[in-house]
Formats: sequence, structure tokens, C-alpha cells
Amino acid sequence: MPDILQDFAMRILNSGLLSTLMLLIRFITPFIALFVLWRCYTSFRKGQRRKDPVIMLEDAATGAAFPVLYWENSIGRSKSCDIVIPDESVSRDHAVLLRREEGWFVSDTDSHLGVRVRGRTIKEPTLVQIGDKIGIGPVTLILKNTTDSNIKKRRIFTGFTGEAASPFSLMLGVVLVQLSMTLQLMFGTGEMRVYPLAVFGILFLAEWVLYLFSRRLLRRVSFETETFGLLLSSIGILLISGQGVDAVKMQIAAFLIGIVLFCLIVWFVSDLDRVMKSRTVIAIGALLLFALNLAIGSTVNGSKNWIMLGPVSFQPSEFIKIAFIFVGAATLDRLQTKKNLTVFILFAGACLGCLFIMRDFGTALIFFATFLIIAFMRSGSFRTIFLALAAAFFGVFMILQFRPYVAKRFAGWMHVWEHTQDSLGYQQVRTMTYIASGGLGGLGIGNGCLKYVAASDSDLVFGMLCEEQGLLMGLTVLFGLALLVLYARSDVTRSRSTFYAIASCAAAGMLLFQTCLNVFGPTDILPLTGVTLPLISAGGSSMMSTWGLLAFLKAADERTYAAKRGGRRSAQAEEPEDDPFLDEPAFDPRTKREPVQKARPAERTNRRMEVRIPENELHPETHNTKRKGGVKRR
Amino acid sequence: MKTTGFRSFVLYLLLFAFLGGIGWFVINLAANGEKWAAQPYNGHIYASGSTLSAGTITDRTGLILAESQEDRRVYAESESVRRSLLHTVGDSSGYINTAVQSVHRSHLMGYNLIFGLNDTIFSGLGSSIQLSVSARANAAAFDAFEGRSGSAFIFNYKTGETLVKVSALTYDPMHVPDDLLTNERYDGVFLDHTLVSTYVPGSIFKLVTAAAAMDTFTDWETRTYTCENRFALGDSTVTCLDWHGTLSMEAAMGHSCNIYFAKLALDIGPEKLQETAEKMGFNEQFSFDSVTTADSEIDLSSVTELELAWSAVGQADLMANPYHMALLMGAIANGGSTPEPYIIGSGSNTKYTLVSQSTANRLHDLMRTTVSYYYGDSRFEGYTVCAKTGTAEVSGRDPNCWIVGFTEDEDAPYAFAVCVEDGSSGIRTAGNVVIAALNALK
Repeated sequence: MPDILQDFAMRILNSGLLSTLMLLIRFITPFIALFVLWRCYTSFRKGQRRKDPVIMLEDAATGAAFPVLYWENSIGRSKSCDIVIPDESVSRDHAVLLRREEGWFVSDTDSHLGVRVRGRTIKEPTLVQIGDKIGIGPVTLILKNTTDSNIKKRRIFTGFTGEAASPFSLMLGVVLVQLSMTLQLMFGTGEMRVYPLAVFGILFLAEWVLYLFSRRLLRRVSFETETFGLLLSSIGILLISGQGVDAVKMQIAAFLIGIVLFCLIVWFVSDLDRVMKSRTVIAIGALLLFALNLAIGSTVNGSKNWIMLGPVSFQPSEFIKIAFIFVGAATLDRLQTKKNLTVFILFAGACLGCLFIMRDFGTALIFFATFLIIAFMRSGSFRTIFLALAAAFFGVFMILQFRPYVAKRFAGWMHVWEHTQDSLGYQQVRTMTYIASGGLGGLGIGNGCLKYVAASDSDLVFGMLCEEQGLLMGLTVLFGLALLVLYARSDVTRSRSTFYAIASCAAAGMLLFQTCLNVFGPTDILPLTGVTLPLISAGGSSMMSTWGLLAFLKAADERTYAAKRGGRRSAQAEEPEDDPFLDEPAFDPRTKREPVQKARPAERTNRRMEVRIPENELHPETHNTKRKGGVKRR
Repeated sequence: MKTTGFRSFVLYLLLFAFLGGIGWFVINLAANGEKWAAQPYNGHIYASGSTLSAGTITDRTGLILAESQEDRRVYAESESVRRSLLHTVGDSSGYINTAVQSVHRSHLMGYNLIFGLNDTIFSGLGSSIQLSVSARANAAAFDAFEGRSGSAFIFNYKTGETLVKVSALTYDPMHVPDDLLTNERYDGVFLDHTLVSTYVPGSIFKLVTAAAAMDTFTDWETRTYTCENRFALGDSTVTCLDWHGTLSMEAAMGHSCNIYFAKLALDIGPEKLQETAEKMGFNEQFSFDSVTTADSEIDLSSVTELELAWSAVGQADLMANPYHMALLMGAIANGGSTPEPYIIGSGSNTKYTLVSQSTANRLHDLMRTTVSYYYGDSRFEGYTVCAKTGTAEVSGRDPNCWIVGFTEDEDAPYAFAVCVEDGSSGIRTAGNVVIAALNALK
């Protein structure tokens, strides 16, 4: 009897019906993934706070009101300040008004005439209360609650649909993609395989543990960044599973460690004081790691960028990427007091120097691009960027002059079809051949031929993805990575500090630039430098560091630390933070601003109905529980 | 904060560069995907050195020459057909890069942009190829080689259809010898000799010398030279196979007299002979089914009298390509020009003009007389044949035996060029190949 069953199973496996079904699945899967990625982004946008003032500063002399829009606000005479005080004796960048856990602080940023709070000139960041007088040179500002001023609200494009998707439903989409790829792995190669079930099981467990940890235990509102990371990681891991179970063990381990690293970094950067104090230590640590790499590193594929300690081997440069951003980003008061970039430039120079000695040119390029992004976001100076580029071109020129063999490594660029059988074009032409062979739907996981080429699952992984899962899936993944930039951009003024803003932009830029090198290298649009595709490529260090970088994006989302979801069972115990950013009067009756509302009830209601959509109403789940809680309290 | 937010626009520069790159890549893929996929190293077309999947190839009668069965490439049933058409159909490993399976790989593999190389009903459509060759005639011609190396090419000079294209040395693509790549015996086995090889032409070059005489002397028909078996020239001699006495062009062509043509060439002069040869397609490359063929070579720019005399009879430093010779025969048969032979579809409408109409007609008559008076029409039963043979001496080996010519028949207008290495005589060794093929084409 089992023989007959087995025979029947084999027959179905070998019939055209199954392969057609698999092809159909491969055509559908990218659209599910695309939907998840797009909805992640739009839900993320919808979950964001409107650009309303949170508190006000009032000029005591003239009564002029300055709306405070951000978590960190520069105050000064310069037009580039968030709060511009047009008074000759006020310094260009006089002070910073910033919000921390404890409340609002004022910090003097090396102004000429100093900052006074409650009559005293301050030396350190000083806590201020509503009603306090802040002296900015000759001008006195009073901290006030928002009145209903007619601040114009920008309409922002948030996608084609009105509602935000619930994190749970997006996670179901992720599971669907995983299931589809697991099915392909089990039945798509002509023989039945069972181990993909184990891979799927681990992914499934890991992602739901993270989900419950984040949503239930930490009661975080948003889960989009994690969903994004989980989706791309599982596509990568399941793709690599096609090469057998051994190939993917390390990748899964790195994925799990990566998630832990993600959570740790999100926690670590939550305290900005801790962050700013630890930057020096991190910078020194990064340089020491580079030094260690140069001392005991091993050379793989011409680059001395590996450290092998017994059974464990890793690429230090991948982790230094995180440190690099850590060191580069800074809070607004730091940016205003230490305006020059000298220290960061020296640090970046040291990193780049080490990478050149290791001959890891791809990573060096990534560091350089990230340096440009950070340097520009900090200084806004085109001169700095121009000088950096000029120095880079000069450096490249000198290297080509004195080390011509470096150029030889890239001599096949744009001529790869003349080098189909030698190292100058071997990998590129095969990548392109197999991308074309895959068509839009791919040939099925494990059925590819690119896997026989060296570095196919890391440097050439885009080719492998397209060959086995189709161009549609390849482009979907690229679309997702490109969306990272939009994520970072949309968060940039809403995050709790310029540290987060700069870090998330730098991280997104770094990942996208790395994607450029990975995708355009093997397709002969750029020289082949051999870097990984974030979250997709095989490579434990890369997987972990990408999750580390995603933590910066998560941290930039103000809801990560500030907003809490209402717990289902403990709605009563739920104490929404007393925070003007989140406890907006429209949905929380317990704020200090309530009397103001009551004074003008009609207008209030009107306004609420027309334009003001409270943040938690965009999250149906949150909305319901919170409102319930509110009703009960009344 | 505002300023930091504004400055983050730099990310857009990166984003646009990225999107631009992706767009460029997708456009390239759409434009060149078929070429990219059709690479000889592509594991989806070839696996462990053999073709996995490709469309069916048939001959003019619909006989299957190659097809894919369950991840295996299967060739024609008859071994003679398989061997004779090896260089036309191709091998499973893609070594023979001038054959249909290589040249039309992208068509045969059924590639399309949407499904790539996925085996769907769409890829099955239109991935088959019908060739104009006759498997029967090829097998007959190949058997007539009797194991010798060489090449044979026969095409219809009215339509351009290629009927016979045999290149030997060859092997059976269904039972590839294990020592194919290592044994010296198989040196050059992947070359299609009809297209990419050249041979010493020997006496068939007398047609070119004759054409040069027709262009140079108005009295070429009555011009006579005397053959006394040996003709001393400087401190060497030009020899002839026989003592022919005083001959006219017609008799000299029929007897294939070396000394007549040697003396004629000395009167014509090297410049004129070179000019005529180049007009007739020497030192020129032709194309066949998008394969560029080897050019026949001649260089008389600094020859001595002796060398010129030997060149006139095709025995010096000059080489002829069989495909080119067949084209020349087609042109003579057609009154000066010939369509480019094709093997798939209906040809490219390319025409090659290689001789003037008057010269073509005169050569036509000469070759007709050569067969009717000297070789005998009885050899070519059922056809009216015009031809010229050649037996080119090759140092250290038996001669290269040539026959070039065409049939006059309205319903079977075939031009041919056959060269057999290590043969005994032009009309016997090479002639038999043509006769076998022509009989099989009836």
C-alpha cells in the first residue's frame, strides 16, 4: 500500500501539473510580498503624528507665539533655526529646547549672552515647566501649552487606502510568503523534501516571539520595521535553504542573533545621555576591532576582512558599520556646540584607511557614502562634501597610480562579455544569463544553476533570487530596500532627536547604497565589488549588522519609545504617558489642556471631525481599548 | 531639527540613482535577455556537457534530426544521417559553434521574457526548426567519403536551399567517443570544413585562369599553347600528366593540361589573374546562416614566373574554401550571380555576383564540354552536369580530390563543391560523392 502511495506521489511530482502550479505560486508570491512592503510603509506613515505644535513659546514682551513642533528645537537668530528670534543680540544658534523622559529641557549652545531659566543663567541642560520664563539673551520666552492657533496642517500622501493595516494582518502576509517558499522547497525540485518545514518552523516561532515581545510585553504601537526585516530575512533564508540544510544553519543562527541585537540596540539608544556618553568608547572600540582585524585577520577572496576564532568566523567591518553610524550621529545640542566635523572626519578616515589596507573596496565605498550622508546632514555644507569627494578621487587616483593591480581587478567592467571564461567577467555574465533564464517567475528554489558559481549566495545573490524566484520577486525586494529611504525620510523631523534622525537616514542610505553595489556589480552597471545584499545574502555578520542598522530606523520612530498600546487585559492599569506629543486632547480627556478645550467646545469638535485624526484612531486595535479605558474612567 | 530634516533630501539623490540603475538594468534585460540566456555555459540548456532541452530539428522531409526526450538530446535514427549532419545540426555540448544548435540556440531553447527558460506551453511554440537539407542525400554523400575527411556542399542555385552539407572528420553525437577531446585523431573535429576550412584547389583553379583569359584576350578561344609534358621555367620546370601537344582552351580544360594554363597565365600576368580571382570571390568572406565563412586566399603580388605558372593550375600558395567554390558554381550556372544559400526559413535575399554574364556562359559551356567529352555523361545518370575536377598535390599525403560544378536541369538546379582528402582522383573519389548525393536527391 505505501508503495502505491509513494508511486502516486512521485507521479504527481514528475507531472507537468505540479511544475505549472509551482510556477503559478512563484508568480503570485511577489505580489503578496509587495503588498506587505507597501502596506508596511503606508501604515507607518498613517501612524505618524501630525505636524501640530506640541507646546508654545510666547515672547513675554510682544506676545508673539512660537509654535514648538519638534522634540529638539534650535532657538536663535539664524533662519535655519526651528524657532527664529529676529533680535540682533541673540546668537545665531543660541539654545536648544529639547524633550527628554523627564520633561522639557533648555540647553545653552555656546551663546554670547547665555540662557536664563527662572532668572538664573544655566550651564547645563535645565528642566523647564509650563509657565517658566526662559531668557534668550534680551528676549524672554514663556513656555506655554498649545492654544488652538490656526496652524496649517499639511496633507501628506499616505497611500491609496484610508486605513492603516494592522500589524497582525501584515505578519500574516509574511507567513504567507514563507509558506509559499517552503512549499516550493518541499515539492518544487522533483523530489520531496522535509527539512524546509523545520526552517519554516524556526522562522515562524522567531517572528511571533518577537511580535508578542514587542506588541504585548513592551506594548509598542508600531511593528512595521520589524515586519519589513522579517519578510526580507525569510525570503533570503528560504532562498538559501534551496542549497541544502547545512547552508542555512548559520544563516538562521545569525538571523536569531540579529533580532536580539536589534532589540538590544533599540533599548540602548533609548537613553540619549547614555548614547552620547558612550560614543567615544564605541569609536575607540571600533578602531581597536579594525586593528585586531589587520593583525589577525584572514584573507578571503582577496580581502583581509575576516577574523576566524576557532569555529566562529566573522567580518568585523560589518559590525563597525553600526558603530560608524553611532559615532556619526549626534543630538541637536551637541551639533550646535561642536560644529566642526574634525573628530568624525578623522574617525571616518581611519576606518576607510583600514578598509583599504584590507583591500575591501566595496565596504570602503559603503563607509564613504555613509560618511557623505552623515557629514552633509550634520553640517549642511556643500564645501565639506565637495572636499571629501575631491579627496576621495585623489585617493583613488593615487591608488591606481601606485597600485595598478587594483585597477586590473576591475578591468572587466563594461567588457564582461569578452571575459566569459576568466575572472574579469565570469561571475557577471553568469549572473546575467541566469537572471534572463529565470524570466519573471523564476525556475524554482533549488533549481537554479547560478548556485554552482562562487559567491552566488552572497555577492551574486540578486542573480540567484531572480533565477530561482523570478525577476518580479527580485524587483520586489529591491523596492522594499528602496522604501527604507522613504521610511527614514518621513521620520526625520518627527524623531525624538537629531541623533535618531541622522542615524536612521545614514542607516537607510548605507543599506540602499550597499544594495546598489550588490545589484549593479554583477549586472555590470558598476564594477563588481563583492558586497552583500542586506538581509538576503548568505553571511552571518551581514545579517546581524543589517538588523542592527534596522534598529536605528526603529529608534527614529517616535512611537517606539513614547507611545504604548493599551493592554487588553489591563486597560485600567494602563497609564498613558503624560506626554504632550501623544496625549493629545482629542483622545485623552485627562490632559492639562482639557479646560482649554472646554472653553471652545464647538470649534473643538468641528476641528476634530474635520482634520484631526488622533494617532490611536489610526490603529483600530489601540483605539478600541483606549477608548474603552477612557469611558470606564469617566 | 527642521534643518536636519531638510538636509535629508540627499537620500533622494541616492534613491533616484538607484531607481535609474534598476530601470537601466530592466531595459537591458528586455533588450538582451535572449542573448544573455543563450550562452553556451547556461546550465539550463546544457547539463553535464549535453543539451537538456531544445526544440525539434527536422530535415526537408520532416525526418527528425534532433529532439529532446526527458532531459536527453536524441538524434536521428540512422548513424550515417547523424554523422553526416553532425556539423549541420550540432552536438549536445555546443562544441560545434557553427551548427544550427549553436547558432539558433536561443530560438531552439524556447526562451521568452516572461517565462525565461521555464518549460511551459509557450516555450514549446515555435521552438522547432525545419532544415532545408535532405538527410538521405547527406547520408549517401557521407557514405561515399568511405571514411575519408573532406567536405561536400550542394545547394539549389535557383532558390538558395542547402541540400547537402557534409563535413568529415565526424563522430556520432549519440555515442560521443570518450577520447574526443584527448585523441589526436579528432583534431579539428569540431570545425565545419565546408564553411571554415580551405584546401589547395588544384586544377579547379583553371576555371579562374580561364576566366582571366576571357577577360584579357579576345582570341582566347583560338589561342593555342603546346604541351610537351615538361615546361622549363628558370631553373625549374612545370610538369604535366601527359604529352598533350598543341591545345586550345576547350581541349586544355578537358585534359586539364597544366602547361597550357601555365603558359596562358604568363601571358595574362599576375595582376590580371589576381584581379579576376578577387572578382570571383577570392580573399572575400561570405556568410552562411549568419556564420562568416573562411575566405579563399590568393596573393600574386610578388610571385616569380614559376610561382605564377603553378598558381595558374592551383598548385602554389593559394587556397579555396568549399562553400565559396559552391557559390562560384552557382554563379556560373545562374549567369553570373547566385543567391546566398540558406538552411532555415526562406533565405536572406542576398545575392552574390561573382562573374560577368558572358564569362559565366563561356565557363558554363567549357564545363559542359568537359563532362560530355571527357568525363562522360553516363556517370551522372538522370542529370546534365557541368563540372571540373581537380587533384591537388599535398606534400607527404595522397592528393586532395575536388569536383566542382552544377546540374543544368530546370527542375533540379544544383550547384556543388566537393573536396575529399587523401583520395585517388577527382572524378573517381570526389565525383562518387556527388553522384551518390545527386542519386539520393532524385
